[in-house]
Amino acid sequence: MLRKSMMIDPRDSVAMVLEDSQKGDVIRTPRGEITLLEDVEFAHKVAVEPLKKGQPVIKYQEEIGYMLEDAPAGTWIHNHNMGCDRGKVRGAKI
Amino acid sequence: MKFMGYRRPDGRVGVRNYLAIIPSVFCANKTVEKIAAQIPGSVPLRHPVGCAQVGLDLELTARTLKAMGTHPNVGAVLVVGLGCERFPPRELYEAVIASGKPAEVLVIQEEGGTTNTITRGVELGKKLMEQVNAMQREPCDVSELIIATKCGGTDATSGLAANPVVGNMVDRIVAEGGSGILSELNELLGTEKMLMKRAVSPEVAEKVRDSIYEIEDLLQSSLDNSLGAKRNELISPGNFAGGVSSVVEKALGGVHKSGTSPIVDVLPYATAPEKGKHGLFLMDYESHDGEVVTGMIGCGAQIVAFTTGRGNPTGHPLAPVIKVTGNYKTYQSMKENFDFDASPVISEARPVEELGAELFDMVLRVANYEHTTAEQIGGDELFCIGRRHGYHKKDPAELLACHES
Repeated sequence: MLRKSMMIDPRDSVAMVLEDSQKGDVIRTPRGEITLLEDVEFAHKVAVEPLKKGQPVIKYQEEIGYMLEDAPAGTWIHNHNMGCDRGKVRGAKI
Repeated sequence: MKFMGYRRPDGRVGVRNYLAIIPSVFCANKTVEKIAAQIPGSVPLRHPVGCAQVGLDLELTARTLKAMGTHPNVGAVLVVGLGCERFPPRELYEAVIASGKPAEVLVIQEEGGTTNTITRGVELGKKLMEQVNAMQREPCDVSELIIATKCGGTDATSGLAANPVVGNMVDRIVAEGGSGILSELNELLGTEKMLMKRAVSPEVAEKVRDSIYEIEDLLQSSLDNSLGAKRNELISPGNFAGGVSSVVEKALGGVHKSGTSPIVDVLPYATAPEKGKHGLFLMDYESHDGEVVTGMIGCGAQIVAFTTGRGNPTGHPLAPVIKVTGNYKTYQSMKENFDFDASPVISEARPVEELGAELFDMVLRVANYEHTTAEQIGGDELFCIGRRHGYHKKDPAELLACHES
């Protein structure tokens, strides 16, 4: 099923789904059609490109965290697979 | 552009006209409450502090209570003290008198107990209320308005809809010569470079960076303690559930509520800007909803724009709080707690500028007379006084070494 989504900037590496969506649903993004690999709730993020462990995740054209594991496009991106050390680790860049 | 406000003897302008009954220490809370219950239209400012504090912590209490007493939304003040507290009730009374407002002070240990103080307090309070009721609104310029901005219960819609709409409204206030305040510095981690670029001078840019780094240092010091090891998330379970995955993602959405205006200065907690200085300010404090809102009101903000994706019922006893959401589900389920629905930015792709203009109109209506949902409910939870225990300010060079090594 085609689901509503949006990207804040077409150069970001994640899109947001604008309705509760299920595995197998499709979102249409400036980066092409992406098939969701798992259920994703309203306002949560989906990778629009394959992301490598350690790679920064980009939203608002800024780094919002770094990947804790590899993830193909269509993966739900959240705190289970994305880390951020600002405020926790001295000298952390992200 | 004009609105109808209350011009105070010190020249500042209020949008409400309260008799504030203020305990100088928590021990006077019940007495204050019982006096206020007998004087319709008066506002009791209950709080838990004023006893056994030292240094900066005690100074924040003193500064905040004086800022509440001299706030332009307040017409007159009755101070009630116990008599042995560290923040002397007469210091508060004298600060209010110096601002030119009518005020009275009572001390429970001098009056001979609770009942005598209540009887005398009601007598004095009713006389003050007569003076408050005689005060009239007059045309005042929008440049006199200071709008505090706050996110509470953020979700991923806040950064897309509610915060940009509030930011657009703040830009409109600033364009009219008025002011806005951004704070919650622990939730601005990752935005310091963009905020520094918006500073009006290199000196203000350094103040922006140093204050954000200092809060980050404070956070890291708290997490260094192993007792807190299981409580080390920097954003809330509600933020995570709402699709926000890190403090930096929250910051990048949150910073939108400040609009695009230049940052003219960084204000300490509950401290008014220099006379004649207008525009967008950053206030140096973290994001406890009540403490940060009270601090910004202490800086002189007469109205608060509060964005929440998850929903929030709170209000402040001295200032109207306008609740804005970008989440259509939350708006539907908690309508009674909202004043403004910004969700059409997402659901109908309505331009942020259009909704920003509508919110600006609402701010003026609230400044004139309109009561917010939190005022209708009687919400007063956001009156909380900022605290600071045992933290020693680091040298800016030392902070830089920690953060940019």
